[in-house]
Amino acid sequence: MASERPLLISTTPGASTTDDGPSPHPPAASLLPPAQPEPPLRADRLAFSVEVPDPFRPSRRGDGPFDDPSAASQREREVGDDDSRGVVVGEPSPEFAGNAIRTAKYSVLTFLPRNIFEQFRRLSYVYFLVITVLNQLPQVAVFGRGASVLPLAFVLFVTAVKDAYEDFRRHRSDRQENNRLASVLAPGTAGDFQPKRWKHIRVGDVVRVASSETLPADMVLLATSDPTGVAHVQTVNLDGETNLKTRYAKQETQVRFSQNGGVGSILHCERPNRNIYGFQANLEIDGKRVSLGPSNIVLRGCELKNTTWAIGVVVYAGKETKVMLNSSGAPSKRSRLETQLNRETVILSIMLIGMCTTASVLAGIWLLNHRGVLEFTQFFREKDYTTGKNYNYYGVGMQIFITFLMAVIVYQVIIPISLYISMELVRLGQAYFMGADKDLYDESSRSKFQCRALNINEDLGQIRYVFSDKTGTLTENKMLFQCASIRGVDYSSSKDTGGYSVVVGDHLWTPKMAVKTDPQLVKLLRDSGKNEEAKLVLDFFLALAACNTIVPLVLDTRDQKQKLIDYQGESPDEQALAYAAASYGVVLVERTSGYIVIDVLGDRQSDRKRMSVIVGCPDRTIKLYVKGADSSIFGITNKASELDTIHATEAHLHKYSSLGLRTLVVGMRELSQSEFEEWQLAYENASTAVLGRGNLLRSVAANIECNIHILGATGIEDKLQDGVPEAIESLREADIKVWILTGDKQETAISIGYSCKLLTNDMMQIVINNNSKESCQRSLVEALATIKKLRAASSNGTLGPVLTSETSSVTIALIVDGNSLVYILETELQEELFKLATECAVVLCCRVAPLQKAGIVALIKNRTDDMTLAIGDGANDVSMIQMADVGVGISGQEGRQAVMASDFSMGQFRFLVPLLLVHGHWNYQRMSYMILYNFYKNATFVLVLFWYVLYTAFTLTTAITEWSSLLYTVLYTSLPTIVVGILDKDLSKATLLGYPKLYGSGQREEKYNLNLFVFNMLEALWQSLVVFYLPYFAYKRSTIDMSSLGDLWALAPVIVVNMQLAMDIIRWNWIIHAFVWGTIAATTICLFVIDSIWILPGYG
Amino acid sequence: MDSHAAGSSSGGSGDGGAPPRRNSRKPKYSKFTQQELPACKPILTPKWVVLVFLIVGVIFVPIGIVSLRASQQVVEIVDRYDDACVPAANENDKLAYIKNQTIPKTCNRTLTVTKDMKQPIFVYYQLDNFYQNHRRYVKSRNDGQLRDKSKASDTSNCDPEATVDGKPIIPCGLIAWSLFNDTYNLILNNKNLTVDKKDISWKSDREHKFGSHVFPSNFQKGRLQGGKILNSSIPLSEHEDLIVWMRTAALPTFRKLYGRIYVDLKVNDTITVQLENNYNTYSFGGKKKLVLSTTTWLGGKNDFLGLAYLTVGGLCFFLAFAFTLLYLIKPRKLGDNNYLSWNRPPVGRR
Repeated sequence: MASERPLLISTTPGASTTDDGPSPHPPAASLLPPAQPEPPLRADRLAFSVEVPDPFRPSRRGDGPFDDPSAASQREREVGDDDSRGVVVGEPSPEFAGNAIRTAKYSVLTFLPRNIFEQFRRLSYVYFLVITVLNQLPQVAVFGRGASVLPLAFVLFVTAVKDAYEDFRRHRSDRQENNRLASVLAPGTAGDFQPKRWKHIRVGDVVRVASSETLPADMVLLATSDPTGVAHVQTVNLDGETNLKTRYAKQETQVRFSQNGGVGSILHCERPNRNIYGFQANLEIDGKRVSLGPSNIVLRGCELKNTTWAIGVVVYAGKETKVMLNSSGAPSKRSRLETQLNRETVILSIMLIGMCTTASVLAGIWLLNHRGVLEFTQFFREKDYTTGKNYNYYGVGMQIFITFLMAVIVYQVIIPISLYISMELVRLGQAYFMGADKDLYDESSRSKFQCRALNINEDLGQIRYVFSDKTGTLTENKMLFQCASIRGVDYSSSKDTGGYSVVVGDHLWTPKMAVKTDPQLVKLLRDSGKNEEAKLVLDFFLALAACNTIVPLVLDTRDQKQKLIDYQGESPDEQALAYAAASYGVVLVERTSGYIVIDVLGDRQSDRKRMSVIVGCPDRTIKLYVKGADSSIFGITNKASELDTIHATEAHLHKYSSLGLRTLVVGMRELSQSEFEEWQLAYENASTAVLGRGNLLRSVAANIECNIHILGATGIEDKLQDGVPEAIESLREADIKVWILTGDKQETAISIGYSCKLLTNDMMQIVINNNSKESCQRSLVEALATIKKLRAASSNGTLGPVLTSETSSVTIALIVDGNSLVYILETELQEELFKLATECAVVLCCRVAPLQKAGIVALIKNRTDDMTLAIGDGANDVSMIQMADVGVGISGQEGRQAVMASDFSMGQFRFLVPLLLVHGHWNYQRMSYMILYNFYKNATFVLVLFWYVLYTAFTLTTAITEWSSLLYTVLYTSLPTIVVGILDKDLSKATLLGYPKLYGSGQREEKYNLNLFVFNMLEALWQSLVVFYLPYFAYKRSTIDMSSLGDLWALAPVIVVNMQLAMDIIRWNWIIHAFVWGTIAATTICLFVIDSIWILPGYG
Repeated sequence: MDSHAAGSSSGGSGDGGAPPRRNSRKPKYSKFTQQELPACKPILTPKWVVLVFLIVGVIFVPIGIVSLRASQQVVEIVDRYDDACVPAANENDKLAYIKNQTIPKTCNRTLTVTKDMKQPIFVYYQLDNFYQNHRRYVKSRNDGQLRDKSKASDTSNCDPEATVDGKPIIPCGLIAWSLFNDTYNLILNNKNLTVDKKDISWKSDREHKFGSHVFPSNFQKGRLQGGKILNSSIPLSEHEDLIVWMRTAALPTFRKLYGRIYVDLKVNDTITVQLENNYNTYSFGGKKKLVLSTTTWLGGKNDFLGLAYLTVGGLCFFLAFAFTLLYLIKPRKLGDNNYLSWNRPPVGRR
């Protein structure tokens, strides 16, 4: 990912009242390469290009900042010959995938076989099929052919229709997409762009896109309408982020393609991959190698904005585009309950085999006892006299086998296949109610709760660990500039709301957001030029305005004269700083041609943790502005001369971060012309290097980033979201452990911990912050010993570790630093950390990289049976969200990467409380009950069938008509359970929120466990005995016939199981009433209809 | 449903009755979507539990008493004759006896009336150990053929008694083939008791299942005669014995109606039964019994139902009593928070 990234920096300090500083008008263009961005505090934002873990790829590419930067992995990042593709610009190459996309799964011809194949990949369908096929054997046939095929056929048909419809819609959208038009350079011509359908575009085609058009494929920008090669794209279709991203065409190509040349150059790029934020390529043009990075590529699905036109060469087309590669869904998760359900299914299978064996062995014994007389037994009559052979009798051994197979068919319903369908429906209903809950609707962002994964609803009721990101999750991620420390002087008394405007032509341009300003500082700034201090203050704000990647967008307002400047950028920190600078009068107005600045390092690597920009000022001075985290900036300062300033600034930094503010340090260095030229040369060499480009660029940057003068520091407030402390309090009362995993500094993390009430003053804090494995081990062991001592001191030392943290008087908070985690995770020290962490009530991890977040989640997930939930909002949380049992995405400021990867998404952190405590509890309780009830009701029915077989010479006759047998699971008993599974409430919302402890029932698996299952089976046994033997004894030695008694045996279990359901229902509303009583009535009517219409086989 | 208490939670409409917003994404608020539909929540308070048990007891015990009395009013005479009718000479090989056409099968039995019997008196034959519900047997029939003249040659499902010499048997199948063929002639005081054999089958069967234009043919012409031979000039709908027989019994011990006697019988009346012991149950160890029985509104003699009601009713009374005692001796406050797991002293935990 290392690559250069040209930046356009306009250093327009606005119409400041002084005229001594940089002029209010754009300075003379200076082709200066700036160093590159690194939003310093947010180590968690940095590893932007962390890949979505892809199970299908053997190894993960090392993009994470904490990956081993060994030579091998370094080399892997470079474009080697073996894994690259060569594209000749302007020559469509048939060798690579075309641009036609195909999301549809089937064609008219393949639909039937493929769809049926897809459907039978579900195990339950195979079971269905085997039973149906068995039933077709004439010797084994239990049900009539039609009756036995019907249920399977019905399910298959419904699913097929649904699939066909979905596929039809996909076909339609595919067709629309493929037939869109784009202007493509006709091969062999210069500048002759002709319309071409998207599906005909190939790799190597040169495409011209106009403003607001969608890009047809992944293209490397060759030229744009802007003379400097800038293009803005909106990536809302790709990652949901609405801000504009800046992409660049290389100067080399820009010049040539503006004049329609350049066709024929060869481009080498990496093979298609899923990484949206990474790209590696180089272009051979005029014998010169130009390197290309992620900032030179525009991706399919993006829209071109604020740029009249752009020309690019297609490098990835169709299914190889990054958006298509990313469109495959997240790996599907299975709910805990469903996994447990499999255990019970196995038990039921054993029961089924047991019953079948019993029936067949008894049948064999009966046959043996009646051997020899079977011919003259009227109800058996072994022989068929027309043929003189045995009729349907194959000897005892074979009869046993046949009886066994028949028994499997008759007793099949004990394994409730319909349960899976019911569960799907119940989840659908639950998802609907979660989405419709007004308590989960975020008014401010207008985002509804969304169930993105439909199969883990009930897991929400069993969570024990919540792993939360901080920024954007606990906090709003709306940065507000709060205070500044300039040259060791603190300016934090922000009072005035000083809006500042710039006059451009006839218009008044005002920044969209005004920041409160410190009057003292404003005054100082206005006096700038009069003294040295003021100059530095101006430099400070210049750095804030310049040293970023913000794109100012000018918006029209109702007032003709007035226009708003909206700062669009990828980092909210930078936005806050730019607005702050604007409020102090240093307004970033435009970032356009003429002031091209090329950055030192194009990548965002968190080990740099700083960003530099080199700016040529109108007064011919060249200045290097640096901003970054304190640690990184202080390391490159001119220590000797600035000791006082550094100390003062450090003190202020400490003060800011203990207030919970995010801090940044700003520095500056003036460059001489020769220094600059020397650097520029080195940089150009480095950026076109083939091998080790990243390292070279880094060292070039390091060479120039030295002897920095400290300008000052900023404090940005990261506001807590509404209700976060209360939410955390509730979660903790519910015995859910909340861990915060943040990229912030330790101090910031701790202060946020305090402000959201996670940490309290009576807690003992254990801090693990070490730089080597040995010291980590030592502190872990020490910490464990301390805890042991504490536990021994408090009276009840014998309790299990889970309980001790609550019962003992001292609660312990563990704070772990990301550096230490490097040495702990995935080594043998993990075990120690796990022990320590489970002893602590609160765990805070600071400065963690995205992959470490996933590592911490895995630490808990792999070692306990406890359910984990990860909640986050940014791309850096994706790995954690996918790792955890339940992933929740906050649809907030940071784009939609997290939401796309999540199972549930919502607008605010505090919604976690109603989500878990109310809906989670309900979902779990309802689903558990429904599963157990389904086991119970089917077992009751099957046992009734089984008892009857004991009175039919073990020949598996069913008194109940085959239609009733088949309808039992489908119609007679299924609807009420589904309705109850969606609507019944054991406890009201108010109670559940008022007593978070109630959540414990899910954590302790109280509603679904083996004991309850056994209990339900015993209940089924007892009830089936009653249902069978009451009529049996009542009609013993009577004239009753089979179908009459059969109807009784069909109706009785239906009434009994529905009454059981009725007794288990906690809250009756009219819908439940309607379904329960309606079902019993419907069953009765059905039985009447089946018996009284003589066309139906049940007539009698 | 055992208990309903009036505890009802009404949907809280207080906070959320927000007016519809201009924003369509906002969930529409309704009691349904917020899962706050008015609902009734039955709570099993001690009073309710005791009351419900009492009510069940109060209902069940009288039902039990009435049923038991009804059952005991039924007078039933059961006479097993299969063994007794075998001549002493054939004692050892009953199968040979029943298969030998030359041995006369007539047999006389004497029954003594134990109690006054009011007409109508039902005459049943009872077979034990005869599996009319055997899978081979139960399937071996063709309802279409029985109903419809045009389907005379449709003998599917009737194996192994479908055709004879290639001609279809009407009625086909094992069930019809094995039609019971013992006959009873009842004599009271040297006078024949008329056994009315009309209307012994279900009306719906005669009218809808057995056709009035379908006549028996090729019946019992196979190598082995299974049972009664039907008069081929009478349509199936009038062969009531066949219709009764073909309504297959649910259990291996069953009774089938033979006819009715419209004469009152007195205590100690002796009835002589002249019977033709034709039907072979000797091969599989089945028993044959002749049953004379009166009926009540509850049907025949069966104490089970009455006893079952009495037992359950009694149990309910007992439970009601026990719970009342428990409630009086050791009352517990309803909804006492102290019993919540997290409020209980930690001693009791896990």
